[in-house]
Amino acid sequence: MWIPLSYALRGLWQRKMTTLLAVFGLGTVVAIIAGVLALQQGFETLYAEHGRKDLFVFLRPGANSEGESTFPPDRAKTLIKSLPEIAQDEAGQPLASMECFLAVRRYKVDGGETNVPIRGVQPMTFALRGDDVRIVEGEPFEPGTDQVVVGRSLLGRIRNCNLGATIWINTTPFQVVGVLDSEGPFSSEIWGDFDRMSDALNRENPNRIVAQMVPGTDEQAFAKALEKHPEVPAKVLSERTYLSSQTAALSATLKFLAGLLGTIMGVAAIFTATNTMLSALAARTREVGTLLSIGFRPIAVFLSFLIEALFLGLLGGLVGCLLVLPIHGIRTGTMNFDTFTEVAFAFRITPEVLTTAIVFSLFLGLLGGAWPAWRASRLLPTEALRRR
Amino acid sequence: MDFWTLTRRNLLRHPLRTFLTCGAIALAIFLVCTLRSLVTTLDNTAAAARNERLWVQSAVSLFVGLPQAYQSKIEAVEGVEVVCPWQWFGGIYQDPKNFFSQFAVDPVKTFDLYPEMKVIDGSLDEFVADRRGAMVGQGLVDRFGWKVGDKIPLLGALFPHPEGSDVPWEFEIRGIYEPEANNVDNQMFLFHWEYFAETYELGEGQPPDAGTFVMRTEPGSDQKRVMREVDALFENGPQRVQTTTESEFQAQFVSMYGNVGFFVTVIGGAVLFAILLAALNTMLMAAREQTRDVGVLKALGFSDGRLFRYLLGQSFVLCLVGGAIGIGLALLLEKGIGKAFATMLPNYTVVPQTLVLAVGITLALGLLAGLLPALRARSILPVNALADR
Repeated sequence: MWIPLSYALRGLWQRKMTTLLAVFGLGTVVAIIAGVLALQQGFETLYAEHGRKDLFVFLRPGANSEGESTFPPDRAKTLIKSLPEIAQDEAGQPLASMECFLAVRRYKVDGGETNVPIRGVQPMTFALRGDDVRIVEGEPFEPGTDQVVVGRSLLGRIRNCNLGATIWINTTPFQVVGVLDSEGPFSSEIWGDFDRMSDALNRENPNRIVAQMVPGTDEQAFAKALEKHPEVPAKVLSERTYLSSQTAALSATLKFLAGLLGTIMGVAAIFTATNTMLSALAARTREVGTLLSIGFRPIAVFLSFLIEALFLGLLGGLVGCLLVLPIHGIRTGTMNFDTFTEVAFAFRITPEVLTTAIVFSLFLGLLGGAWPAWRASRLLPTEALRRR
Repeated sequence: MDFWTLTRRNLLRHPLRTFLTCGAIALAIFLVCTLRSLVTTLDNTAAAARNERLWVQSAVSLFVGLPQAYQSKIEAVEGVEVVCPWQWFGGIYQDPKNFFSQFAVDPVKTFDLYPEMKVIDGSLDEFVADRRGAMVGQGLVDRFGWKVGDKIPLLGALFPHPEGSDVPWEFEIRGIYEPEANNVDNQMFLFHWEYFAETYELGEGQPPDAGTFVMRTEPGSDQKRVMREVDALFENGPQRVQTTTESEFQAQFVSMYGNVGFFVTVIGGAVLFAILLAALNTMLMAAREQTRDVGVLKALGFSDGRLFRYLLGQSFVLCLVGGAIGIGLALLLEKGIGKAFATMLPNYTVVPQTLVLAVGITLALGLLAGLLPALRARSILPVNALADR
């Protein structure tokens, strides 16, 4: 015969203060872990979900990021013209753009320094990007002039990043004429004309080429062919793959942090849960004795206490989720260890984060409840009944 | 019956519960110490730097080098004693995960500029004599099990080897250094600037840039003036420079980590909150069970004030024992944690201020957790308490 569920749950209700403290304790632990994971999710989706599969990125062989990569300009031009796999616009021009990229030192509005990516692009870029990159205020920069547009995430965070301001790059002043918005990491960048940027930065070599491919181009096969290209060997990968590869270090760090906190705080939380369940047992020793003496089997008592602990865990998980929900969408900026530049993004409470939080909390409840439940099931009815 | 006997008996009435609460407090205090140490280590890197050394770097970007020709121009500035090029190599050792700092430097000048770097194995002379020699930090030796005489291949991610981008540069370890003070990274891989520059030129047809220059000013010279004059030399390009003291230079890097410190502090605060609830919970449970005892003690003539102190003291003892274990754990694991964070945050140390903070937190925890049960005991009437079954 099984002990009714309501018996286990009533136990939690009877000791409201203890239950409340335990639930909030568990909830706080769960919220910390979920918060770190939400940071990681926000960061990772910014990169991984906003890279396009039909755009390919060309890098110097051996380079792992655009900062490390460089092409001699004439070779880059040859590459763009000679590849039939690159799509063309109506006028027959290849849909490709050389880009130069540099993380430049900038001052933050609230003090301190940071690295902001500056990207010089060719006019074809906007045809390539379509609606992914929009000018939401002001105008796009005029090709061939010292004008730039700034990413929306930089407004209010980086000094001189507002419409009409002047940005000095090395010895050249650039006029901010527009604000650029994009769902991906571009909204933390400053964009200008490729030739003018290369000139100002004193770097004539483009760092990478971005091109739209003819539909159906196979990433793997194309990359293999380009690796062995007789004139201009290059490392090729889709933009989605490229951007995903730029998150490894920070993502791993955040996951490690969540795991570390989860382990240490988790053990502490299990201790707390065990304490709570032990007090539940102490308060009901006589009741347990009664249950056992009227014929409930020890396994039923064990399960009843375990269910109570699991329910405690579930409540803790729910409270944790509620505590962490308000941070969803809060924008923050942090250093991407792979590019060494600052990116802005929002915390993201994804279903995965919530599931992890609940499962983690249930797990804590289970581990915390196991020992008291076992002890309850091993009570001798005669002794238990004698206890006050 | 004195305080200690009563407290011991009460806490040991449920040894398991006391042990679990102590354990939870210990883990929390350990975590708070560790998180706090990460922040102080980050801050102290900058504070411990030596200010007689100046750094000249591009004012534009960390990823842009300075022309080699700048060196002689800087040397000509009055008051400058030694100038050494310092180029980030960014090579890959076996796997990109094995990240550590590699620099092409002038071997003689570097050890002149950094007297706090002591060669503990091999020798400086051997390093200087071997063009392809390397001087590595003890931290790297611990990490990779290297020894003097080992050949280390580094794949040039930024600087491809002239024979092909898949051909590694090869260096032989000629010496191992250990910094005396914790302002120098003990995980650097240093090799000859000349060997680097000549090999690079072979492949690219032009000399490489020097990433930054480290220099020392003559004793008694006006540093501010030297910094101003060096900056002014290149005001009109081709590459503008910024000269800073070593501590400012390192503070820049710290500020680039952005709000890491803030995040860590928030997490630490949440950890404390969670643990406060746990300690409070235990103290309340204990207090409930002691209701009868309190009644008996009152009936025996114990004053309210005395009981208040007893119950509060009980909470302090519990928290202090937990806190002490947590602090001990943080100190014990200092080396291990230092190793785990070595690539991102070299020279992890638990400073005394952190320990003081931890003790303060423990005391506050004891007070907060004990206050409520202790106050409740005041209102207990012996009659009711004794009748309560």
